[in-house]
Amino acid sequence: MMKEELYIRSRMGDKNPFRVPEGYFDSFAAGIMEKLPEQEKPVRKSLIIRLRPLMYAAACLMVAIFTVAVYFSDSDAASPEVATVTTPTESYVDDAADYLMADNMDIYACLASEY
Amino acid sequence: MTDDKLLIEQLLNPKTQRRAFETLVRQYSEQLYWQIRRFVLSHDDANDVLQNVFIKVWQGLGSFHGDSKLLTWLSRIAINESLDFLRRQKNVISISTDDEEIGVANTLMADDYFDGDETEAQLQEAIASLPEVQRTVFLLRYYDDMKYSDISKMLGTSEGALKASYHIAVKKISDFFKSHD
Repeated sequence: MMKEELYIRSRMGDKNPFRVPEGYFDSFAAGIMEKLPEQEKPVRKSLIIRLRPLMYAAACLMVAIFTVAVYFSDSDAASPEVATVTTPTESYVDDAADYLMADNMDIYACLASEY
Repeated sequence: MTDDKLLIEQLLNPKTQRRAFETLVRQYSEQLYWQIRRFVLSHDDANDVLQNVFIKVWQGLGSFHGDSKLLTWLSRIAINESLDFLRRQKNVISISTDDEEIGVANTLMADDYFDGDETEAQLQEAIASLPEVQRTVFLLRYYDDMKYSDISKMLGTSEGALKASYHIAVKKISDFFKSHD
């Protein structure tokens, strides 16, 4: 023990200079028990709330996959591609018109003539 | 199984917790009261703080996992509540300067629940004038003989810093007495 601490103890001793009203500690417990609020019961989280983080993660993953897919499809489209444009010839148009105007009998006749 | 372990189990069981809590209050209220009273000095304030402590303990039962002793956990709450009370009181006093001039020793001498003489009142004033950590470590070591390791866990301050604070506090109080001899 320090010299100064011994000096304080010699001056003050260990006597408690404070006191409490008569019967204070006997009545304290009953008083505090009356004032106790109801204990809050833990609320069970619903399945959707518990799965929410997983759903957010899945949504993020989907967005990431979609973004990557769009990026690569765009880069494919950006690459030069030779477009084949065919101009229909006059005979093709005639044949198409004939075909559209043909009825069942004409089709049978056409088929029969080929064999 | 020790009394504390059994009590903790009962406190954590919703069926037995109310009765166990009453046992806890009966078992520890006096010890906690004296810890608080040495900080706040007046009986009415100590009573208010002690009630707040037990309400907080009741509301926080679920957060006690038995990592520390029950008394250490309760003391931690009691001391934090006492220090919070003193901080709030300091703010109030700083607004009303008249109260500050009365002084701790004079207030105690006029208190019905203070039986000490003038020297004891002056000791309380000297303790009250210490900075927060010095005051806390002095009260817990001098009166409760609490270990530095327990105070360290309670305040989140290193043992070395607490030892230094205690030595400074003891020196200041002994100088205070020597200057009044």
